[in-house]
Amino acid sequence: MYRLLYDQVIKWIPEKSRVLDLGTGDGAFLKRLIETRQVRGEGVEKNGDLAARCIERGLVVHQGDILEGLDQYGLNAFDYVLLLGTFQELGDPEQILREAFRVGQRVVISYSNFAHWRIRLQLLFTGHSPVTRSLPSPWYRTPNLHFFSILDFQEFCQTIGIREIEHAYFNQRGCVRWRPNLRGELGLSLLEANDLEPSRED
Amino acid sequence: MQNPSELNKNMLEGDLQDQVLKDYHSDLGITQTHGVKLAGIRTQSGYDLKELEVCYQTLGVLSPRKDNAILICHALSGNAHVAGLDPQNRRPGWWDFHVGPGKSIDTDKFFVICSNILGGCNGSTGPTSINPITGRPYATDFPPVTIRDMVAAQVRLVDFLGIPKLFAAVGGSMGGMQALVWALDYPDRLHACIPIATCMAHSPMQIAFNEVGRQAIMTDPNWRGGHYDDHHRPEHGLAVARMVGHVTYLSEYSMHQKFGRKLQRPPRPEDLFPDFFSVESYLKYQGESFVKRFDPNSYLYITKALDRFDLLEGRHGRDAVRHVQARFLIISFESDWLYPPSQSRELVKTLKRSNVAVTYLNLETPYGHDSFLIRNPDFSRAVSHFLNSEYRSLGA
Repeated sequence: MYRLLYDQVIKWIPEKSRVLDLGTGDGAFLKRLIETRQVRGEGVEKNGDLAARCIERGLVVHQGDILEGLDQYGLNAFDYVLLLGTFQELGDPEQILREAFRVGQRVVISYSNFAHWRIRLQLLFTGHSPVTRSLPSPWYRTPNLHFFSILDFQEFCQTIGIREIEHAYFNQRGCVRWRPNLRGELGLSLLEANDLEPSRED
Repeated sequence: MQNPSELNKNMLEGDLQDQVLKDYHSDLGITQTHGVKLAGIRTQSGYDLKELEVCYQTLGVLSPRKDNAILICHALSGNAHVAGLDPQNRRPGWWDFHVGPGKSIDTDKFFVICSNILGGCNGSTGPTSINPITGRPYATDFPPVTIRDMVAAQVRLVDFLGIPKLFAAVGGSMGGMQALVWALDYPDRLHACIPIATCMAHSPMQIAFNEVGRQAIMTDPNWRGGHYDDHHRPEHGLAVARMVGHVTYLSEYSMHQKFGRKLQRPPRPEDLFPDFFSVESYLKYQGESFVKRFDPNSYLYITKALDRFDLLEGRHGRDAVRHVQARFLIISFESDWLYPPSQSRELVKTLKRSNVAVTYLNLETPYGHDSFLIRNPDFSRAVSHFLNSEYRSLGA
């Protein structure tokens, strides 16, 4: 599922563009992106051990918390800003998008779909908070702060003035085209700012 | 006195300079320093230094392409003896943990250069050198020196060694400032830059601590405007300056670990102000041993150079950084309150906003500013991975 998602991201990113990967982890994907697309990429990672792995891979990495802002980057320093896999864990998604659109032209986001049928059924029949493969932790241990669906995400984009240029949905069997809000487990979106006011340069 | 095992334990946490280690083993064995006389420089203050003597050490072998030279820049109390054992006193170099065969700065791969700074008192031209005009030590007739003057002297040395472009400049604290000057002022002569626990300009707090140290020296009756003789040096002032400085290099945690409220000896009823806490006698020891190897005037010149350092020198960040070609690894330490991570982040921001390739790590090491002098696997790994991957990309 994630392999397909990453393949899709690579398809969306044009060669030689400038890419900022937020929450880059050990840098494996960023490295792949640089090698296949010759992008000029760098990562931001909070965890020191993971950031050290990035250095080992020869990547440019900034150890820092994206919640504290991306102050070190100037206006439109990047063509693409990637937020793959952590969006539902971020405290103030709107503020982070403003920052992302200050430093980049386009933003790629992936997120978990909370309206997948398995989750709906679990809630309906067991009466417990759902625990699934894409939501593996019980409620008291989950890093997720926001539980939203594909429909919610689309609505959110409209509300804050972001246009979805491309999207793709995935479940364990592959890409989902028919009824994604029911069948998709992961959403992936390529976004452009419409009326969103980027956060201000200091 | 502290018992020897206690001393050894403290040793492993930095201050290689100040104590003699009996059983210390260095993979480099005995290493020598050399002195060379080079053409003089004009200081930033406009003074022509007719002669320039530089004390330096080299380790490893320069590659046929001359592309593997790493300049290590030392901090306030450091010297050219960066690694290996001193031939006279068998003290290990101040960065022996990090520099040597197979270590994070690998002398099997890289040609390491370390020189004593201009204005220092360990072999390079400074206030203790003989003034050719008077035939006596300069003392306070020595011109004011700046970090940029120190780098100008290093440039002379690198020229002398026949190296057109350094692979890297590495340094902590004041050494980091020198590495930064290399990147900004000599952009085509540096490939990679590793400034550690440093800043673009001192904060009032950093200046304040240095001023306390300077006042301690200058109010010592032996200072006499800087023209003291060998037998009556302002040692007391210098020792106090070192004590203050040393406290700022530690952290609450490291002091707690090292000393707690341990007693040297229980106070007796007739005692007035004895040293009964370990921390007191430790500081006194630090002060006293520092005095033996450091010149009080030199301490004044160097701390002043630190305080007046301004990387941008009033320019806008973008203008100052525009020509930088080097790729950076910047490291700060979470527990460093003297050169706090916020100063490193400011540096990161200034460089990044001018599109310089900067990798930044803020290590959790709990030992305060001294962290860069202490054995630390995370630090070693980061530096060695960065150097190795940069060196690979150089060859590609």
